[in-house]
Amino acid sequence: MEIPYIFTPRKDTGMVNSKIAIWLFLASEVMLFGGFFSSYVYLRLGADYPWPERALPVLPGLINTFVLIASSVTVVFAWAGLKLRKWRMFQVNMSITIFCAAIFMVLKGIEYNVKFHHQAVRLDDYTILEGHLNYDKNTLDANGKEVGEDVIRVQAEKLTFSTMRYHAAWVEEILRQATEKGSKITLAEDVLIEGQSVTKGTELSVALLKRVCKNHLDSRGNNASVRTDALRDEWTTAKAKAENAGKRGWEIAPTIEINAEKIAPLLKKETSSLAFVVNPPLQLWFPHRDIKEGDAQSRLRDDTVIDGKLLDSPVNIHNLDAIDFRHLVMKAEEKGLDPIVAIENSWLIKNSEEAKAAWNWNKEQTAKLEKELLDNYGVDEKGVAKRVPTETERYRIGWKDFISKANGVDKGDAEIVISEEFFGPNYKLREAKHTFPHLKIPRKEVFLSGKFTPAWNTYYAIYFTMTFLHGLHVIGGAVVLGYYLFRGKKMYQSNPEWLANRVEVGGLFWHFVDLVWIFLFPILYLM
Amino acid sequence: MADSPELIKKSIKTYTLIGLVLFIFTGVTVAVATVPALDIGVHGFDAWDMILGLAIASFKATLVGYIFMHLNHEKKAIYWIFFGAIVFFAFMIILFMSAESDLIHYNGFRFGLPY
Amino acid sequence: MSAHAATADHSHHDDHGHHHEPGFLQKYVFSTDHKTIGIQYGITAMLFLLFGFYLMMVMRWSIAYPHEPLPGWMSWVFTDTWQARWLQDGKVTGDAYNMFGAMHGTIMVFLGVVPLGFGAFGNYVTPLQIGAVDMAFPKLNMVSYWVYLLGGLTMCASFFMESGAAKSGWTNYSPLAGFADGQIVNQWLAGQTQWLLGLVLLITSSLLGSVNFITTIINLRARGMTWMRLPFFVWAMLVTGFLLLLAFPPLEAAGIMQLVDRVFHSSFFMPSGLFTKSEGLAELSGGGSPLLFQHLFWFLGHPEVYVLLLPSIACVAEIIPVNTRRPMWGYKSMVYGVIVLGFLSFIVWAHHMYLTGMGPKISTWFQITTVLISVPSVILLTALMISLWGGSIRFTPAMIWACAFIPMFGIGGLTGLPLAFNLVDLHLHDTYYVIGHFHYVVAPGILFGLFGGVHHWYPKITGRYMSKTLNHLHFWPTLICMNFLFFPMLIQGMAGFHRRWYNGGDAYLAKAADSTNVFAKTVAEFIDLNIMMSWAAWLMALFQLPFIINLFFSMFRGKKVESDNPWNATTLEWATPTPPGHGNFTFDVASYRGPYEYSQPGADKDYTPQWEKPKVEAPTEAPATAPTADH
Repeated sequence: MEIPYIFTPRKDTGMVNSKIAIWLFLASEVMLFGGFFSSYVYLRLGADYPWPERALPVLPGLINTFVLIASSVTVVFAWAGLKLRKWRMFQVNMSITIFCAAIFMVLKGIEYNVKFHHQAVRLDDYTILEGHLNYDKNTLDANGKEVGEDVIRVQAEKLTFSTMRYHAAWVEEILRQATEKGSKITLAEDVLIEGQSVTKGTELSVALLKRVCKNHLDSRGNNASVRTDALRDEWTTAKAKAENAGKRGWEIAPTIEINAEKIAPLLKKETSSLAFVVNPPLQLWFPHRDIKEGDAQSRLRDDTVIDGKLLDSPVNIHNLDAIDFRHLVMKAEEKGLDPIVAIENSWLIKNSEEAKAAWNWNKEQTAKLEKELLDNYGVDEKGVAKRVPTETERYRIGWKDFISKANGVDKGDAEIVISEEFFGPNYKLREAKHTFPHLKIPRKEVFLSGKFTPAWNTYYAIYFTMTFLHGLHVIGGAVVLGYYLFRGKKMYQSNPEWLANRVEVGGLFWHFVDLVWIFLFPILYLM
Repeated sequence: MADSPELIKKSIKTYTLIGLVLFIFTGVTVAVATVPALDIGVHGFDAWDMILGLAIASFKATLVGYIFMHLNHEKKAIYWIFFGAIVFFAFMIILFMSAESDLIHYNGFRFGLPY
Repeated sequence: MSAHAATADHSHHDDHGHHHEPGFLQKYVFSTDHKTIGIQYGITAMLFLLFGFYLMMVMRWSIAYPHEPLPGWMSWVFTDTWQARWLQDGKVTGDAYNMFGAMHGTIMVFLGVVPLGFGAFGNYVTPLQIGAVDMAFPKLNMVSYWVYLLGGLTMCASFFMESGAAKSGWTNYSPLAGFADGQIVNQWLAGQTQWLLGLVLLITSSLLGSVNFITTIINLRARGMTWMRLPFFVWAMLVTGFLLLLAFPPLEAAGIMQLVDRVFHSSFFMPSGLFTKSEGLAELSGGGSPLLFQHLFWFLGHPEVYVLLLPSIACVAEIIPVNTRRPMWGYKSMVYGVIVLGFLSFIVWAHHMYLTGMGPKISTWFQITTVLISVPSVILLTALMISLWGGSIRFTPAMIWACAFIPMFGIGGLTGLPLAFNLVDLHLHDTYYVIGHFHYVVAPGILFGLFGGVHHWYPKITGRYMSKTLNHLHFWPTLICMNFLFFPMLIQGMAGFHRRWYNGGDAYLAKAADSTNVFAKTVAEFIDLNIMMSWAAWLMALFQLPFIINLFFSMFRGKKVESDNPWNATTLEWATPTPPGHGNFTFDVASYRGPYEYSQPGADKDYTPQWEKPKVEAPTEAPATAPTADH
């Protein structure tokens, strides 16, 4: 048995199977990316925060566009090479295509990496700060790396674990921090496990928790089945009673009670929580997403309760890259407040001299720009200036502006090195002038903090999701094309048209990947 | 599709040319977005910049589809399908954008619950 | 132009038997034969259907008897620890109910009915009906099945995890679904996340499947099998394939975004200022839109309804002409109807969302399209109904199911009409009326059609008939129970019973006696129906046993078929040996006429098969060597 139309097109449809299949597959891909593009439009239209327009460095994106277009040209050259029966031409062009894919992914990796190394903070008054997190030299994590100062610190006196669930990695982390600082975490009261008593003072270990949890779950299971049987019996008796004849379930229900005394001997003891004393009290730190902090009691996401004082847990930023008031201004305008007053009343301006100076400098610069635009473009018939500074120019002070300020030049005139277009400011280069403010933000002023990950806002969420998915397509396409390059010789020798068909199909996919990027580049980098 | 060696050789020239055009228009799209002198509409980013950027992208995408993906050699029916899909998509987007203004926002019952 | 030049590729048939006999694994487990894969799909899907049915039985207990512990015959499958986690003194808790409800919907739709209709029947019958040797990409076909199984198991495995399975309804709306299982530290091991992973796998599977189906139908049709000679079944599969191909990816996009929401704490579907009782103000950036998820979900969700329906109506459309011994009434209008139906199904999705406050403009548009889509549906149903008229009907087991399909699906369809209208829907949304409506479509409608399909093609698959007696024992109680189960839902729904009450409305009863709460009184009036409906469901479970017995015992004990074409049918699948071997056809198959030529004037018997060469070689009857795509 052989499937027809693999090599030669069917007469009436004019296509081989794989060609139809790839077009169908691309139609499906169009719907997939269509879903994402539509979501982009929807999220952008519905955004209740200033959408970060032109927020990414353009240069890497531009290079990537060139790279991908070049690869699209070479992949059709490779196909043409096969059609002309020039194996060498195919080889060279296909190699270039795959090399281009590699360059694309490397650049993408660099872009991602830069985002994962920049910190962003949104204060409660919607001021947004961007910069670099300070790493605490005295606090090391499990891998021996310094911990970024964006964690919650608590003075733990008592730990209460839930016996329904615990996260072993966190328990080990707590133990590690305890050993490091010489604290002992011991059982607060005697507990009975499987008939054996574990005495007060036993040290915390994952094995102990595991035993307790298992015991608890077993007892619960036993008790559940005992109680279920008892309840079933109660219902059977209740239904048999004469006075309940014809009554409905909910009318009988209030009279039904499990006879506690009768089942008592069958029940096993449940341990619903397990408390440990920390002696001496221990400073613990947790990533802020994993802990719900309170002044006297905090709770981890796995329901572990930590009793103890909340310690000072500021977000410590060294080298502030940008101050962004656009969100604050948006919220102020929604409430009918004057944006300038709102900014000047913000926590940042009141508490940081450097920020205040930067803001005042920016105000001057905006005024200058406003005048320049008025001079150049004039006013319309109603007397309103035709062109005015943008929100970004008015309310965002970026790292290039800090450099301009330090260099004593106008906004936008700073000299930027090419590598800075990729990675942001080169601090070593600019250290002498102390261009970038340092800042410690108390935890109670912080609404949200983190790296530039999908969690930061919906723009970064859709940026990462779409580019990651596109990257997967690049890798997938490169793998397939690479297969034809390295394993295609056999196919070529047996039937050159076979490989040509395959490469055409692979090429169609590759062009589609290029096509998606042609749209992704402007909407994510330029708009 | 062009299957004879002469036609393939001829289309190689086309591909090179199209590649160049794509390069140039990539430059153009970045230039109009970043060089202040080329800014259209009001100062800074606005709807006109978006329309221009998307128009350039669509033009580039059409070239890729038409030449590189050999749509110029496909059947007429496919054009109608593409045309229909674009009209459908545009209609849906316009419908939703026009309806964005009359979203109903729920603010709770003014008179309390009935009981 | 000679017929042979055009089909040079067909000349490979005589490879038969030359290849070595494949081993057990290759033959039955990792098979690339479309028939084996179809049977694999069928068995897996039926097992999932059983599981989904069981979940529903537990839910029905909670609705009928919320105060009583689950009876032993239902709860024996649960381990003690499972009961300790999810039940309270053996009574179903809200969490457990939500879990069962979400998984019942998911399993029935994504793991049960679609694989049974599209995967099993589509795989087995389509290549046979178009006269192909196999699917266009047999290996892809195999991968498609295994990815489906993996996806299904991923979803169901979460029942045994600490988090339990997904609990946010089969629609998985954010922000509820975004938050659920937030206490699980490793989000990859939370039921709600596993649901999404399973879904992405299922979508991948159906994408591979639909590409394969459409390619097969376009390119692998036999000689002379022009578009208008395709049996309606194949047309329905083609449209279903396109629906799966184009409607699923937006849901995949939504699934990926929700996955990012859950694992990386983004806010695609999370609005600003979300506040929960346990967590307070959520530590999220906000700025997303829950409405976006609903749009993406229902962009799939509505075409999905037709993905469920079309394979079933396709089975019925095959069964009816065979058993009425007359041509299908309005074959062309059915074909055009199904194409229009497929197209319209893409532009009706937001009628599931009238209550979201998306605005009158969009609502108006979707009301119009929703009412429009009833036109092609009614065309299909009417054509099937008129096909019965004047036929000499043979009540074979398959025909009984097909005959029941028509009125049952009719009730399902007609009860949907009020829901199309914004104002009526505001009252009926999320009530049992909606549940009644779509269960009438899916259970007595779609499943009846598929049961019919099982009986119809069983002789081809096994070479034996299924038992008529057992079928009657299965059919009649099921029909009665179905109606006792779903009709009261319509009544309760109009009285305002909410679909997610885990205790069936019991919480209102305390208020009913002495309060001025009119609604509580209404609830008290109709709550007794719960008990009747639940018993109908459990009895129905009991009466599925004859079917299961029938399915397995007939394989060995059933009456043997007398010929390869036991129903005297006309379509190509009956031209194969019984059961069809690898490569399907033993002769150079071609189609010489339309698919439903029964009782043709001048013919010597009451059916003229597609593969039968015309007696008199009329010039126009020569098989079309170059069937055109735009016929």
